[in-house]
Amino acid sequence: MVAEFARSRSLGLGGTGARIGHLLDGERIFGYVLVAPAVAYILLLVGYPFAIAVWFTVSNATTARPIAEFTGLTNLLAVLDDDIFRRALANTFIFTITSQALQMVLGTILAFLLLQNFRGRRIARGLIMIPFTIPIAIGAMAWTWMLNPTYSVINWMGVHAGLFTEGPNWLGEEYPAMISIIIVNVWRNLPFSAVVLTAGISAVPQEILEAAHLDGANWWVRWRKVIVPIIAPILYIALLFSLVFTFTDMTVVWLMTRGNPVGETHVIASYAFQTGVVAGSLGRGATMSLFLFPVLLIGAILLLRNLKARTID
Amino acid sequence: MAVLAQRNVSHSRGYRLRKVRNKVLFWVVLALFIVFACFPVYWMFITTFKEVNDLYNLQNNPLFFHLPPTLDQVRYLFEKTNFSIWVENTAEVGFVVVLITVLVCVPAAYVLARSRFPGSGGLSMGIFLTYLVPPTLLFLPLSQLVAGFGLVNSKWSLALVYPTFTIPFCTWLLMGFFKNVPKEITEAARVDGCSRLGAMFRIVLPVSVPGILTIVIFAFTLAMQEYVYALTFVSSSDEKMITLGVVTDLIRGDVFFWGSLMAGALIVSIPVAIVYNLFMDTFVRGITGGALK
Repeated sequence: MVAEFARSRSLGLGGTGARIGHLLDGERIFGYVLVAPAVAYILLLVGYPFAIAVWFTVSNATTARPIAEFTGLTNLLAVLDDDIFRRALANTFIFTITSQALQMVLGTILAFLLLQNFRGRRIARGLIMIPFTIPIAIGAMAWTWMLNPTYSVINWMGVHAGLFTEGPNWLGEEYPAMISIIIVNVWRNLPFSAVVLTAGISAVPQEILEAAHLDGANWWVRWRKVIVPIIAPILYIALLFSLVFTFTDMTVVWLMTRGNPVGETHVIASYAFQTGVVAGSLGRGATMSLFLFPVLLIGAILLLRNLKARTID
Repeated sequence: MAVLAQRNVSHSRGYRLRKVRNKVLFWVVLALFIVFACFPVYWMFITTFKEVNDLYNLQNNPLFFHLPPTLDQVRYLFEKTNFSIWVENTAEVGFVVVLITVLVCVPAAYVLARSRFPGSGGLSMGIFLTYLVPPTLLFLPLSQLVAGFGLVNSKWSLALVYPTFTIPFCTWLLMGFFKNVPKEITEAARVDGCSRLGAMFRIVLPVSVPGILTIVIFAFTLAMQEYVYALTFVSSSDEKMITLGVVTDLIRGDVFFWGSLMAGALIVSIPVAIVYNLFMDTFVRGITGGALK
């Protein structure tokens, strides 16, 4: 005992420090104590609010009157009956899937370009990363200005290149607004796809590719049968994250169109914000937000399975 | 013989032609990608430094300056808006978020990366999955929780809430750094009589300083560019952080102060863009939970 005390003393821990150090020395206790603050924070500010969100969906809470009564499925039925919400639900899927598909195709092309050996590659890479590195709210604002009904620089260029005589009111009409939102999502996330794909492709052993080449496989076969199977696990995780972030984002829609014209460009998240925060109907808003949850849950389960499979290897 | 040589020449000319064509195609496609990526930033830049008369003159080619560049819009941003207050708020809130994140993440990441105890695997998965929970799922209940803490319309509500996403992200990043410190070193120290806590503070943390600095940078920049929680919890101009202030306060009614708005946008973007460009690979590794090596 004395020897132990002396030893911890010599390591510079004071008397109390030594006692705490001793108490913490069991691997189990040490582990639980050190991980406790993180778990507590997450339980208090993620777990508990989630429980409140579930309670909101079955109650008639409003910002003016947060203590509410149980109202059962009233919110759910009202939300399902809301035309704008149904449109928002469809839009969420349209925006997510379309931009993801474009990102994958363009990201693959971009990855192959960036894998070439050319002078100025680092600079090119840095420039291409820019959309992903600036805050999304700022990027959305820059695009809003570029698509301004009167001063749109895109329309100016289009008119002067002879593409159209006037150009659409990008954010004021249904389809142009939807296209604008998809373009901004692609603009923002393309660098991420490209980085992931570049890292994946460059990890494919060169010998395997050469062997396939010698066996007469053309680039498409090499891509489909050699590269994709090897990079699939990475691709899968990156895709999952990218999907979840696009699916749950409201920033682009809120800043660019605010769901207009007449609610045609809302996504789940932006309409939940409109209903829950702007209009103050906590119950309805939370019910809408909770529609994001099944997708998150599926994403989480897929991720877990993938990560487990990898830790076993 | 002559015929053979002829064929050889034409073959190599065709080959060379194809090579040139490929090269041109390569640069054209690359240039298109770069223009797509960078044009909005160029547009921010040119809007920031244009005279108002030039900016809103539809007769002018909008891509270039027609009157000499001016600092008026930047000056307006600093003198006529709360921009400097937003910068202060960002520094204060960012500091607290970083502090909470480091204090919570360092111990958690340390044990999750280096010890095995019942539930450690599940806990690290759980923390990782928390990162998937988006602000748009929790902003309504959190606004009530924030009210419960007496932080309605206060920047400190953000300092309380932002660690919910910085903690999972930074814990996973740090776990990667801690795993790279060989187990043998701490084992040797333990044999020499060092406590577990002592081994952490005296052996592993000193060599993990770069990792800790990385999470400091990420925690700060993640907090700095957040928008959804900020929009939900804070409405007074003098409580805003920089990103929210720039995208909400330079719009008065229907009038957008585009010059100053883009000036603010540029000022916010440049530091963040530089940091993320430098740490891109680390950032992607953090997002994908180490799937990319």
